[in-house]
Amino acid sequence: MNIFKRLYRYKDLLLVFVWREFAVRYRQSVLGVLWTVVQPLSMMALFLFIFSFVMRQKVSDYPAWQFFFGGILPWQFFSASLNYSVPTLEGNYQLITKIYFPREILPLSGILVAFLDYLVASAFFAVLLLFFGVRLTWNVLWFLPLLVLLFVFTVSISLLLSGLNVYYRDVRLATGFIIQLWFFASPVMYSIDSLDIKIKVFLFINPLTFIIENMRRCVFEGRGVVPWQFALVSLIIILFYSVSYRTFTKIERAFADVI
Amino acid sequence: MSSEPVIEFKNVWKKYRVREIFHGSIRDDIARIFKRRKSRELDMGEFWALNDVCLSAARGECVGLFGPNGSGKTTILKIIASVTYPTLGTVSVRGNVAPLIALGSGFHPDLTGMENIYVNGTILGMTLREVKRKIGDIVEFSELADFIDMPVKKYSSGMHLKLGFAIAYHSSAGILLMDEILAVADAAFTAKCMDGIRRLRDAGRTIIFVTHNRALMDGVADRVVYLKKGEISPAGL
Repeated sequence: MNIFKRLYRYKDLLLVFVWREFAVRYRQSVLGVLWTVVQPLSMMALFLFIFSFVMRQKVSDYPAWQFFFGGILPWQFFSASLNYSVPTLEGNYQLITKIYFPREILPLSGILVAFLDYLVASAFFAVLLLFFGVRLTWNVLWFLPLLVLLFVFTVSISLLLSGLNVYYRDVRLATGFIIQLWFFASPVMYSIDSLDIKIKVFLFINPLTFIIENMRRCVFEGRGVVPWQFALVSLIIILFYSVSYRTFTKIERAFADVI
Repeated sequence: MSSEPVIEFKNVWKKYRVREIFHGSIRDDIARIFKRRKSRELDMGEFWALNDVCLSAARGECVGLFGPNGSGKTTILKIIASVTYPTLGTVSVRGNVAPLIALGSGFHPDLTGMENIYVNGTILGMTLREVKRKIGDIVEFSELADFIDMPVKKYSSGMHLKLGFAIAYHSSAGILLMDEILAVADAAFTAKCMDGIRRLRDAGRTIIFVTHNRALMDGVADRVVYLKKGEISPAGL
């Protein structure tokens, strides 16, 4: 929680960085903010094509487009956050070697931009769901704590990787590849429901598995999250967060010397 | 006025490496973290960027740092700005520090001058409300009113400097760091900046001023500290 104390004085700077990313990104672009919807839509279309013509497999009991959308949105938030945040400290070396501010502002602003994208795409998706008359239950409220977990997990891994990238550029070089592997290790285009328990447990090492599976479960199936599972994953994510934030603030002092 | 110095360096040493840091294996790096030698010994390829430096600056004082390239001027500024930390010795800095970042590196090329005022102003520690309040003055001081809605990538280096200086001039920080900022300014704007620096100093700001231009230095600094190879050398040498 230390992070809030550190950032409070610099909240305007964080706001300005987020705004800057956003403003710069859509300058000289025709589609502008529409991009945030075009991307998940085209990915969903591709999956629909593959699973209805190439692999001919039924992915869920509810419409496949919902299933895919429900996985693609959190996934894109996660991968876009990593893509933004990992090179950001290196890219802003001129600021880092000249002026002090809590360095996590840089990766965080990238994550917040990705989160704004996520919100826009989710709002679009929510309208679609309502239009097609998806029946929600109270269990949909589980979605919010799951979203918090996703956010905290994304922040943790981004801080860790972006900090290490200042020392070892290998991190940036590996990121694209890691994201690709991670995509297939996460239940974005498949479901773990029908898998053998041993494989399930193995896939649950990846926190995204728990988060994405349960997001679908509470929104589309109207079922709740198993409380003890939620508690366990939360605990793991919080521990991971505190380790990576502590690491970040520790190595941050030497950023200007090694960058 | 309190006589407590705003900036104080006591026997400050700073070690740097000549070669790329972490050129070795990860194993060496990890071993290095645990070794934690803060000793006065130098390893292969290391050198002292600062060598037992003592200096202080009071409120309302403009201190000039003078010396050849590689004499440690920028390292001192970095330590004052808390961007890096001394290897040995103690440093105390009271108040907010606003480094005037060299030629527009705090600017984003795709944003307009006006937008960059917000970005750079907050980087220098201003709140958004403060920037909004001062924006008219900043634009006026920069003499760029006609170009303020143009992307900064189309600015000349002189225009960069004008905008950068105008923003720093209006920051509320108690300590201002100016590293070779006037290198590309024309005579008229240089005079305006010098005048501005004197006004800031008279208003109680502390200014650390670095330049290779003796005339400028003598025109603005209350006191000049001479540096040579990381050491403070006696005046004039």
